[in-house]
Amino acid sequence: MKVSDLLQSRRATWRELEQLCAWMEGRSRRKIPAEGATRFSALYRAACADLALADAYQLPPGTVHYLHQLVGRAHSQLYRTRTFHYETWFHELFVRVPQRLFSDNCLRLAFVVFWGVLLLSAMMAYNSPKFAERMMGEPMMMQLEESFSEPITGRSSQMGGGMAGFYIRNNAGIGLRCFAFGLLFGIGGLYVTVYNAAAIGAAFGHMARLPQSANFYHFVTAHGPFELTAVVLSAAAGMRLGFSLVDTGGFTRLASLRRAAQETMPTMGAAVLMFVLAALIEGFLSPSGAPYWLKAAVAVISAGMLMFYFVILGYPREEGHPQEN
Amino acid sequence: MGNAPAQFDTSIEIVTPENIAFRYRVAGPFRRLPAYLIDLLIRCGVAGAGTIGLAVLLGMAGLGAGWVAGASLILWFVLAWFYGGLFETCFNGQTPGKRLMQIRVVSIDGQPINGLQAVLRNVLREVDAQPITCYLAGLLACAMNHRFQRLGDLACGTIVVVEERPWFEGVVRSGEPEAVRLAGAIPANFQPSRTLARALAAYVQRRRTFSWPRRLEIAGHLGEPLREQLNLPANTNSDLLLCALYDRTFFTDQTDLGAREGSPFMEPQDTSYQLAVPLPVGELPENR
Repeated sequence: MKVSDLLQSRRATWRELEQLCAWMEGRSRRKIPAEGATRFSALYRAACADLALADAYQLPPGTVHYLHQLVGRAHSQLYRTRTFHYETWFHELFVRVPQRLFSDNCLRLAFVVFWGVLLLSAMMAYNSPKFAERMMGEPMMMQLEESFSEPITGRSSQMGGGMAGFYIRNNAGIGLRCFAFGLLFGIGGLYVTVYNAAAIGAAFGHMARLPQSANFYHFVTAHGPFELTAVVLSAAAGMRLGFSLVDTGGFTRLASLRRAAQETMPTMGAAVLMFVLAALIEGFLSPSGAPYWLKAAVAVISAGMLMFYFVILGYPREEGHPQEN
Repeated sequence: MGNAPAQFDTSIEIVTPENIAFRYRVAGPFRRLPAYLIDLLIRCGVAGAGTIGLAVLLGMAGLGAGWVAGASLILWFVLAWFYGGLFETCFNGQTPGKRLMQIRVVSIDGQPINGLQAVLRNVLREVDAQPITCYLAGLLACAMNHRFQRLGDLACGTIVVVEERPWFEGVVRSGEPEAVRLAGAIPANFQPSRTLARALAAYVQRRRTFSWPRRLEIAGHLGEPLREQLNLPANTNSDLLLCALYDRTFFTDQTDLGAREGSPFMEPQDTSYQLAVPLPVGELPENR
């Protein structure tokens, strides 16, 4: 059989596959009826076979090119993106992430760096106002002093809503950026972490020296545990990403990076979740006129929840019995 | 395809579970930038419209400006960080901009991406956008590997491929009446090898874009040895000879065989071509 006859006979099936592709591109998997799917797969296999035999059929280059495109287009309709499964997410977030973090050296490093720099910066700012001014800048310092000059009496709930939105956008954005910059061999993330810790520490140290320190603590107590933990967590996730390029564990650098990326993304999910929780507390409870004991209680409870998450959920268990306890 | 050389252009080969190797073209920066700009435009539009919509909706519900600001800030946050990730997860590796530019994100092995990869590659966009969102880091990373992967793509093991609507290109006839007549002079048992057939098809498809002298020059390289093998007269036009061979190889209808009689090309040796030794299949092009 000559090529022109062959093309004549195949043309119809290819055309039909093309039309089915266009038809399937516009709809989700559930909306494709069974007969359409079976017809599609039959046509797809036929096109695959034609492509495989293109050389033997002596198809001209233009037709071969067309077949490559057709098979490629059909391939991406047949094998589609797997969307999120909520059960696996739950398992990932509450079983695998804490276990991974419990023995994560990057988390330890991020924890030590963040708190070390924070305490150091706080101490220096407490001792010398010059340092705090250098660290934060004059306008920022004045603003900080002014906003806590009066005792917290609470503000309207709609103000709280606005601020919660602002905190989610701002803080979670900082966390995600810190994570992304970790990709640069961990140095980017380390830099952002140190900078954040120094700025926060300077603010703490500076405010502690002033008469309005009570107002300041009144504000920061409740949301502190979640927010600071989330910052450390995103820094750790970024470092894990960056250091995987340095310590590859026997993989190629790219493979090692890919492996680390798969592992750190759920950690980042947990961090974003904590940022959201912290922002809700910061938006509504922290600026409210609620008594200090209530805010302290929230801080203690949230710290307890974090301990439960990291230590009890994360405590290494025997392999093969992941469901026990 | 078995003897396909290692990648030297932007096409990559993907082996499917059906054990078929097909080729994708990797999308370069000039296709991805417009897609990104379209997405940016959509993002800004949705952010603007969403803010107004939220203001109207929450205003009707009796909630104040603070709530509107909070809700729209959250909307902006989600759009800025998760727009691409959500679309690429739900729409099979495409955002609206990518769809318009006919590109798609797939894994390196040609499999579809999963939600994790989609979200991660868009979060890591932040690094690629450095410095000051001019995407210099991403461009540099693209230039340094042969799949145009930016840093986010490298970390997730994804590539962006071109997925054009295929355009069927069947076999075209050479459309030269002289060639039809010449085809009659070619021995009936002439069987081109696969490589020769491919070369013929490639030549005939493109010859229309060349001038006559250029056609002769190009066709001469293959036409001259073929003419000698087929025992055709020395003044045979190489261009037309290739056209004739092409027609013989790719088309069945032998109506042109009638043209054998009276063809000016066969008069000098009208028996010699019938006596010509049958060409062993595939000998010609391999020798050259």
